[in-house]
Amino acid sequence: MKALSGFGRLGGVLLALVLTLLVFGIPVGPGLKLLYEGAFSDKYAWSQTWVITTPLLLCALGICVAWKAGMFNIGGEGQLIIGALFSATLAQKLISSSNTSGLWVLPLLLVGAVGGALYALFAGWLAVKRSVEPVISTILLNFIAIQALGFAVSGPLKRTDSAMPLSVSLPPSLMLPKFDKKLDTHWGVPLAFGIGLIVYVWLFHTRDGFRLRAVGQNPNAARANGIEPDRFRLKGMAISGALCGLAGAIQYLGISGQLGTSFSQQFGFLAIPVALVGALNPLAVLGSSIFFGALFASTTNLSRFAGVGSTLVPVIQGLSVFGLLAFQKFIDDRERILLSKGGQE
Amino acid sequence: MPSSPIQPAALEVSDVSKRFGNLQALRGVSATFFPGEVHAVLGENGAGKSTLMGVLGGFVNPDSGTVTLAGDPLPLGNPQSIRKRGVEMIHQHFMLVPAFSALENLRLSQLSIGSADSGLRERAQVTLAKFGWEIPLDIPVEQMSVGVQQRLEILKALLTDAQVMIFDEPTAVLDPKEVEALLELLRNLKAQGKIVILIAHKLQEVLAVGDRFTVLRKGEVVASAERADVDAEKLANWMVGDLPANQAKGDANFGEVALDIQNLFVKGDRGEERVSGVTFQVRAGEILGIGGVDGNGQTELIEAILGLRSVESGAVKQSEEMRVAYVPQDRHRDGLILDFSVIDNLVLGAVSGDEVGSGPFLSSKKTKAWTKSLIERFGIKAENPGVPVKALSGGNQQKAIIARNLYRRPDLLVVANPTRGLDVRATVAVHKEILTAAAEGTAVLLVSTDLDELFALSHKVMFLNQGLLREGEGASAVVGGASA
Repeated sequence: MKALSGFGRLGGVLLALVLTLLVFGIPVGPGLKLLYEGAFSDKYAWSQTWVITTPLLLCALGICVAWKAGMFNIGGEGQLIIGALFSATLAQKLISSSNTSGLWVLPLLLVGAVGGALYALFAGWLAVKRSVEPVISTILLNFIAIQALGFAVSGPLKRTDSAMPLSVSLPPSLMLPKFDKKLDTHWGVPLAFGIGLIVYVWLFHTRDGFRLRAVGQNPNAARANGIEPDRFRLKGMAISGALCGLAGAIQYLGISGQLGTSFSQQFGFLAIPVALVGALNPLAVLGSSIFFGALFASTTNLSRFAGVGSTLVPVIQGLSVFGLLAFQKFIDDRERILLSKGGQE
Repeated sequence: MPSSPIQPAALEVSDVSKRFGNLQALRGVSATFFPGEVHAVLGENGAGKSTLMGVLGGFVNPDSGTVTLAGDPLPLGNPQSIRKRGVEMIHQHFMLVPAFSALENLRLSQLSIGSADSGLRERAQVTLAKFGWEIPLDIPVEQMSVGVQQRLEILKALLTDAQVMIFDEPTAVLDPKEVEALLELLRNLKAQGKIVILIAHKLQEVLAVGDRFTVLRKGEVVASAERADVDAEKLANWMVGDLPANQAKGDANFGEVALDIQNLFVKGDRGEERVSGVTFQVRAGEILGIGGVDGNGQTELIEAILGLRSVESGAVKQSEEMRVAYVPQDRHRDGLILDFSVIDNLVLGAVSGDEVGSGPFLSSKKTKAWTKSLIERFGIKAENPGVPVKALSGGNQQKAIIARNLYRRPDLLVVANPTRGLDVRATVAVHKEILTAAAEGTAVLLVSTDLDELFALSHKVMFLNQGLLREGEGASAVVGGASA
C-alpha cells in the first residue's frame, strides 16, 4: 500500500510536469530528459540536488518540530536569514582579527543556530505571554529579517572594497569542507541528514518529544497530565528556529561564502510544502526534501538549456507540487475506502 | 392544544438491516411509532440506536428494509426530503451555526427545506410563548447556555410543523432542572399528537416520560413493551442481558487527611467569584462526593485543587510527595488526545515513569508490554491498541483514562462526572474501579451531577451551590427538584 502510494505520487508529479511542458510548448521528450539530467544524470547534477536538499531539509525539520507543538511557525525564512546574519557577524569579527582557522567552522554553525532559535523564541514568547498568533508574528518577522539582511549588507557587514551591498567573502578555511573540490557537495549535507534522524528519534522516541506532541495535539489533556504546555511551545519554537538558523549558516558557510540581498532563496518558505508533503514526520521529510531538492535542481537545468527563461522555473515547481498533492488526495481517498471496507463502522 | 381531528398515522420501520464493514449494526429491526406517544429507544453503546436514528433521519441508507410514514414510504438516505416529510431530529451535538443569531439559525433551517421565511420572527415568538420559553432571537447562539441552545434546536423542528420528532440523547447536556423541563415538553408534544422518539441512557428519565419502549442489543430488537409492563430492572436486564449487581461501599475505616481545603476562594475566567469560602477534608480511603448543578463552581474548585488555577485566598493542603490522579469531566477536551493511539493515550499518564522507558527515551517494547497489561487489567476493549483512541466507544475511552490514572495507586483521585454518557455496563466498571481505589487507601474526591452515582459511591455527600458547600441532606431540595 505504501509503495503503491509512493509510485502514485510520483506519477502525479510526472503527469503535472508533462502537462506543463505541453502547455509551454516545450517538446516533452527532450524536456523530461533535461529535467532528469538536471537532478540525477551525473555527479554534478547529484551535487546540485544534495545542496538544494540540505537547507530545505533543515527548515522542513524545523517546521515539523514547531507544528508538532501546535506552533504554526512559518517564519523559517526569517530564522534562516537571522541565522546566516549571526554567523556572518562572527565571521567578520574572525576575519578582521585574522582568526581564520578551520576550527571556527563549528562555532560559526552553532552561532547561526542560536540566532535562529532566539528569533523564533521571540515569536514563541509573544504567543505564550501575549497570545499573538505565531502564524502572524512569524510572517511579519520574515519581512523584518529580509530588511535586516538588506541593512546589514549595505551597512555594518558591507565589504569596503566594493560598491555592491555584499559582505566580506569567507576565506576557504572558514567554509564548510567539501568532499570533492569540483563539486558543491559539502559536509553540511550529511550533517543535515544526521540531524533529521536525531529529530525523528527525539520526536517519537523520547519523553520530551512525546510531551511536545501531546501539547500540540491537545494542550488541555497534556496539562491535566502534568505537562506544562507553554514550556513545550517555547521549546518547539527554539528547536525549530535553531534548525532554520542552522540552514542559513550552512548555506552561507557551504555555498555562498558571503551575504547579499539575494542570499535568501526562499528555502524557509519552500520548506513548508516539503514538511507537509512529508506529513510532519522527519523520516518522510528526508524523502520529500530530496524530492523537492531534485525538482528544483532539474527545473533550473531546464530553464538553462531549453531557452524557456528562468521565470518558468517557479511555475513548473508550483505545478508539480499541485500534481503531487492532487494525487496524494486521490490516493488517500482510495485508501480510506479500502480501509472502511475492511474495517469497522 | 387539541390534537387535529385526522390522526396522522404511525411511523413504521420494517425489517431494516444495515452493515458497516464487518459490523452488523442493524439486523432486521422492526418497530412501530404511534402518534401521541413518547417512544423510547434504549440500548447500550453500539447497540444500534444511533444507526437506527440515522436511518430515520436519512443520514444512513439501510441495506434492506423500509420505513413508512402514514403508509407512504420515506425517501431513505435523503435527509432533505425526509425533513420535508415532517421528520425532524434534535441532535445530541447541536446543529447550530454558533456565530449566527437564533433567528438566523431558524431561517437557515427553513431555507434548507425550501420553506418561505415570511413572518418567521412572529411565528417563532408565538411558539415560544406557547411553551413559555424565552430565547433571545437576536443574539449569537454561541452566547447562549446549552439548555437554551437545545430549546432553539427544538424550536427549529417545531417551526417546520414536524410530525415526527426524534430526540437523540437530549438530556446528556442538561442539568436536572432543564431535564425536568424537557420531559414536560415531550409530554406536551405527545399531547399534540406528534410521534415523539426518545433515545436516552438514563432509565429514570425514560421511565418518567415513555409510553412505549423498544430495546436494542447488538443491532436487534430484544424487547418491545408498553409502560405498564416495564420497570427499571426489566429495561436494564434487556439492555445488558443481565442486571449488574449493586456496588458495596468500602469500609468506613479512613486513614490520614490527604486533602485539606480551608476557606478556599477561587475566581472564574471572567474574574467572577466561583468558589466562595469552601472548607472540607478528604482522608485516605474516603470517597467524598460533591454534587450540585453544573456551573456552581465545580470546575474552578477542581482546577484549584490540581494547581491548574490560582487560588484567590484560603488554602489547598496536600502532602508534598502525594501522587494525584485526575479523571476530567470532558473526555474529549481534557482527557484524551483523540488522534493519538490507545497506547499513547495510556503513556500520557506515565510519560515520566519507568514503566514506559529509561533515561530520556521511551521504549516501545516496554510501552507495549505495559499498556497491554493495563488493557487487560482494566478490560479496555481495543482489538488493536495502535488505533487512534477516537475509534473506541465512550466507555472504553473512559476506561483508558481511568487505567492511566489508577495503574499505580494514587494518594488522591479527583474524578468529575466519570460516567457521563456511558452505558450501564461501562458505568458499573468505572464505579468498581473508583471503589477499589478507595478500598486500597486512595482518597477520592468525586464531583458529579448524577445523584445516583454520588449516593451509590460516596461515604459523604456535599453540594456546591453558587460557590458555597453544604452538607447533603434532602438532595433534591439542594439541586432544585432534580429528576432522580
